[in-house]
Amino acid sequence: MSAGTKSISDVLSRDVSYSGEGISVRSLEDNIHKEREVQDGKVDELKTLRERNVEIQSTMTEELKKLRKFSDYMDGTATGGGFWAGFKEMVSYIPGLKSIAISKRSIEELLKQQYHVSARRVKEAAEYVDTLKQSEQELYKEIDRINGKIVESAENERVALDYVLELRDSKATLEAEMQALEAGSVEARKVEADVDKIQALLATHSSNVQLYGAAENRYASLKDNTRKLAETIRNLGQDIQQYTTAASIKLDMASAQIQAIGRAADASVVMLEMKKSLDVMTESMNVTTQFVSDTQVFFRQNLDKLVDELETFDESTTKMLDENLKKSKEIEERRIQAAIDKALERRAKQGGGGAPPTAPSSPPASSSPA
Amino acid sequence: MSEMNQLVTLHTQSLREPVYEPYLDQLIEALRAARLNNSFPDRRGLQGSLETMQKAMRAKLYEQVYIDARSGMPNMASFTRVVTDHEVAAGSLDRMSDTAHYEARRDEAEVYARLLDKRRYYESISGQPYAPLDENRVQLRRHDPATGTAEFRIDLTKLDATGVYVRINIELTQVAGAWRRKVIDLDADGESAAASQAFHATVYRNASFDAEHLFIHMHEIEGVSVDRVQRGVVGPALFCVPTPEGLVVPAEPEQASPLMAHAWRRWLDKPSGKPELVMSFQSDIAARDVRDEKSNDPLEPLLSSRIQDGERARYEHTRQRFPFKVFKDRKFVATPGVEGLVRAVCEAAGTKNLVYRLR
Repeated sequence: MSAGTKSISDVLSRDVSYSGEGISVRSLEDNIHKEREVQDGKVDELKTLRERNVEIQSTMTEELKKLRKFSDYMDGTATGGGFWAGFKEMVSYIPGLKSIAISKRSIEELLKQQYHVSARRVKEAAEYVDTLKQSEQELYKEIDRINGKIVESAENERVALDYVLELRDSKATLEAEMQALEAGSVEARKVEADVDKIQALLATHSSNVQLYGAAENRYASLKDNTRKLAETIRNLGQDIQQYTTAASIKLDMASAQIQAIGRAADASVVMLEMKKSLDVMTESMNVTTQFVSDTQVFFRQNLDKLVDELETFDESTTKMLDENLKKSKEIEERRIQAAIDKALERRAKQGGGGAPPTAPSSPPASSSPA
Repeated sequence: MSEMNQLVTLHTQSLREPVYEPYLDQLIEALRAARLNNSFPDRRGLQGSLETMQKAMRAKLYEQVYIDARSGMPNMASFTRVVTDHEVAAGSLDRMSDTAHYEARRDEAEVYARLLDKRRYYESISGQPYAPLDENRVQLRRHDPATGTAEFRIDLTKLDATGVYVRINIELTQVAGAWRRKVIDLDADGESAAASQAFHATVYRNASFDAEHLFIHMHEIEGVSVDRVQRGVVGPALFCVPTPEGLVVPAEPEQASPLMAHAWRRWLDKPSGKPELVMSFQSDIAARDVRDEKSNDPLEPLLSSRIQDGERARYEHTRQRFPFKVFKDRKFVATPGVEGLVRAVCEAAGTKNLVYRLR
């Protein structure tokens, strides 16, 4: 056995190992699909938040209107008749109760209820910050996982490429050896057998080169989109946190004033101070409403764009997968065709009938030598 | 001096570590020790709210407990947090991942550790009692359709603007007539009742005033005859918590009770060096069935004993028109270090009050 023959034997018998679970068109498609499901889940969460955001916004607007109405009554702008005209409209007297004036509602109670409702709305909005932070964290973890896949695919592609080059060199060596041998001799048939083995390995590992290369690119695209989604979620979470923290602080600071002014208003004293207190509360509501409005714009500008991008990504992924399937099928067809051609050729030599071989568009490397 | 003694806004102090824990511990224990009957705001609800504040602080959901600088009790912002936390708990738990998920990832990122604490907090408060900011009930005690007479009990609990929790029970008889506007409406079957918005507002607005004032005020309303007004008040509380920066104490106690605040300030000249608390629970009744008019409240004598001479004739004329007498009382819960102070205040006022020792 020559040194060259030993080397070829080593190449043929080598157990080429790829890291991971192995790859096929189907498994790649399945893996990409699984990764996309994570993204889809997060996008759905964002869509739910958008709907809830609209709900909070409309509620906040109503509450703000109520506070503004109070505020307007206090400075008389609601009636055009000044402070007392506004006050009279707010306070009524029950007939038949001698001289005791009873307004229909306690301002202190009303303000307290409004304070409670406003505090709850702010808390509801703030609760989404944690949801978003968890989503963001999960997406960054997903990016880590995808990075692992990218590195793994790149390494596997390199292994496949190296092996394919070795196979190509071995094949060239064998083809050169064959030139020196008598066609149809036992030695020539042995070399031919090795060439066929190399060809089969070339087909398999060329396919791996292609699949791992495609996987690397697809995972890289997926990572870009996942990062965009994580950044969108992080920005939104930070915005909500900023606004709800500001609104909470204002409400915390306003509570004693609201009680004090409510009590004073009930006693029909220092009514103008009520206006001041309401302004404090209105400011808090303004902050919250502003946040909801801003996030609406944020959603319109970012989420819809992101969804579009993901859809585009879907299309390109599907296209790539389709192309891969098509190519794999072509290779398979060529291989089958080569086998048929060889079978037909042998039959013709043996004197049998049959249709002439149909030549493939480009003859497969694994077909019998001419 | 600790910065926690400073006002952060009107009548408001902010208690943080290491003060909030002993402060809330002692308030909770004081409520347990006070043996409150149902003329006071519901003890379980109040205690539940204080425990919720403690849990929230331990879970680091809030940085501070806001207290009323006059009453020494948590203020509306703090009690509202408890209410809203209870209201959002179920929805938030639904949206959150399960405990095992957060436990497995708590070391991965800060957000998981925080969410684990939050989840445990929401789970721990779910279904627990808490104090509402306001609660109002009207009960029908007796109804005689033949005479159009109905007896009611109005029960109002309120976190008052003075910073204390107040419960008011008013028993009254209403004689309905076509020419009168009813203060309480019965349903068609004569089985359930609801106060008119205006009447409810009257009770609500006057909740800060004493039982005597409320009795006269309600009794003035045509078609209404008041039988009994009873008020139970939780608070104010005086506390001190030693810290390396100095004692943390309520900043405006004189606005709740000048007399007690004066004695307290003198006591603070030689503090015990331990966390201390005095909490008072006032009971105030104006009713037809009270035999002797008396105040056993060292901090609030009868109106008749402190009315100006110029007003006395008019006051006595008013009282003659109304068939009720007043009884005021107050009990205290105090830590050993300030028990002597409370007893001295009672002795000076000539009252004999229950003082429960808080260990």
